[in-house]
Amino acid sequence: MKRRDFLKLGGIVAAASAVTPASSLLYAGKTTTSAIKYGLVIDLTKCDGCGECATACRIANNVATSPDNEKINNYWLRIARVKSKFPNSHEQAIPLMCMHCDNAPCVHVCPVKASFVRKDGIVMIDKHRCIGCRYCMIACPYKARSFVFKHNEGFSNPDVPKTMHGVVEKCDFCVTRIDSGRMPVCVESCKKGVMSFGNLFDPESQVSRLISSGKVHRVREDLHLGAKVYYLGL
Amino acid sequence: MKIYWTTINGKSLGMYFLLGVLAILAAAGLYATYAMFSQGHYITGMNNQIPWGLPIVVAIYCIGLSAGSLVLSALSAVFGQKEFKPFARIAVFVAALFLVGSLLSIVLDWGRPDRVMLPFLYLNPRSIFSWNGFLYSSYIFICIVYLWAMFTGRDGWIKPMGILAVCWAVGVHSGTGAIFGFINARELYHSPLASPTFVVAALSSGTALMILIIVSTFKATGRFLDNRLITGLAKLLGSFIMVVLYFVIVEYIVRLYTPSTCEPTRFVLFGGNLYTYIFWVGLILLGSIVPAIILFNPITKNSIPWISFASLLVVIGVFCERLIFVLPGQIFPLNLFPDMEMTSSFMDGQITWYQVSLPEIAQGLGILSIVAILYIIGLKLFALLPTEARHLEHEL
Repeated sequence: MKRRDFLKLGGIVAAASAVTPASSLLYAGKTTTSAIKYGLVIDLTKCDGCGECATACRIANNVATSPDNEKINNYWLRIARVKSKFPNSHEQAIPLMCMHCDNAPCVHVCPVKASFVRKDGIVMIDKHRCIGCRYCMIACPYKARSFVFKHNEGFSNPDVPKTMHGVVEKCDFCVTRIDSGRMPVCVESCKKGVMSFGNLFDPESQVSRLISSGKVHRVREDLHLGAKVYYLGL
Repeated sequence: MKIYWTTINGKSLGMYFLLGVLAILAAAGLYATYAMFSQGHYITGMNNQIPWGLPIVVAIYCIGLSAGSLVLSALSAVFGQKEFKPFARIAVFVAALFLVGSLLSIVLDWGRPDRVMLPFLYLNPRSIFSWNGFLYSSYIFICIVYLWAMFTGRDGWIKPMGILAVCWAVGVHSGTGAIFGFINARELYHSPLASPTFVVAALSSGTALMILIIVSTFKATGRFLDNRLITGLAKLLGSFIMVVLYFVIVEYIVRLYTPSTCEPTRFVLFGGNLYTYIFWVGLILLGSIVPAIILFNPITKNSIPWISFASLLVVIGVFCERLIFVLPGQIFPLNLFPDMEMTSSFMDGQITWYQVSLPEIAQGLGILSIVAILYIIGLKLFALLPTEARHLEHEL
């Protein structure tokens, strides 16, 4: 092999090795090797929209609230009321929170990787890294995220961190409770047994059994985000 | 023709007065920013439905202005239009300044501007913001090297640097359009045309602003300015306006035609709200049609006052385009359940208006004032202006 050809070949190899990881970084799907992937199934046929889960969520997670200005009230979980546009249609109460997408747009757009998908599928925010640019709030199709508009003094639950002015917050499936072997507070607080939380990879879990019934749907499945909050009777 | 470059004197009473006014505005802007952090961001017009307000509009507007001015410099260095060489230095300088202004506007809009270095520490290759952080900062650097090459007379560097700067400008402005165009969640953002529209709107507003800056600076400092140079730029501006108009028409017709995007588009175009007027009066009529008539009409197209007036309209029109770009996509609610009616206590399914607040306006004006102050200081310190700007044919 001539010296020139050798150099050429070396150059091609170097260029290819530089391009390959770069292209894989831009690729959307990422497979995790974790044996756990958490998901939530919400049985809308049982939900009457009492809103106890929303209240419990607000207290348990120190969600930033502003009683005097409704527009900057933050929500990790909210009850939406949905009905068709025809007269006399039934109004369905639907609890909405972060859908914990596998292909989360908020994680894609975050310039500092403050938003991330944990190995067990929970989408989280590192509030000590978030710069407060709010690009994730623009990108999220579920309006799951809220910005903390002002400094909040008190906190209702000392077990989880306080809110921080200037960063974005959202539902994290009550990650501190999960990590200590408990259920998310919305699941626990519901007296009608609307919500089931568990490991989607475990074939024996309640969530897998409900999902395998084939009757579940997710919100905006057309966006292909791999949301992990499923609804029965949507 | 040899061009002699000089600084300005800058000791007239008018100059001190101007600097004083600008300094007051800048101080007010900085105070407004301080108030946002000490009191909380609830004093701005944004809320959880509309997380991006006026500061983002100002930021992308400043980025756009920097493009057109850079192109003006590239006309002589890259595209062989030697008659525009007298504007080469000032054009690159203004390009760098507006990028500084836009970076200020972006960073001061963050909830935590004290974490300004984090985007450089934790790059996310899938984030358009991460790309833009790299593109914007390197763009300023390229402008500075380009200026250095011009100042030190390294003629061999000028053309390569000019080509690099033009390519980088296209990247910077495509990247800025991509902030919105890549967002699948919002019907009024998601579009492959966002980046190209942003590039041409940037060219149009930047050229218009450069016409205004050149005419006013040359007049204020008593330098000779050949009318034919301005009419040459005006021709360019006329064609940019037409391209922007074409892109906007294509974009909105496709959106109107598509059932899933029809409703939000009708909200903007025929909703009878503020944004309807901004679109039809600000962008289409005053921002495009009237300046086009002025710039293509044989009676007015060679008159400097008319061209300046048209340029002013274009600068305002592109600001309207930016408003339409950023705000209605957030004001119109997200479509979680298509074809259904949705309500909640979190403003779901209902139109939430953006009410611009005084601190945001003060911050925007303050940042523009800082850019203007830096411009005047630059003119005073560096030989950016030619002693006169003559068309090349004069020497023949």
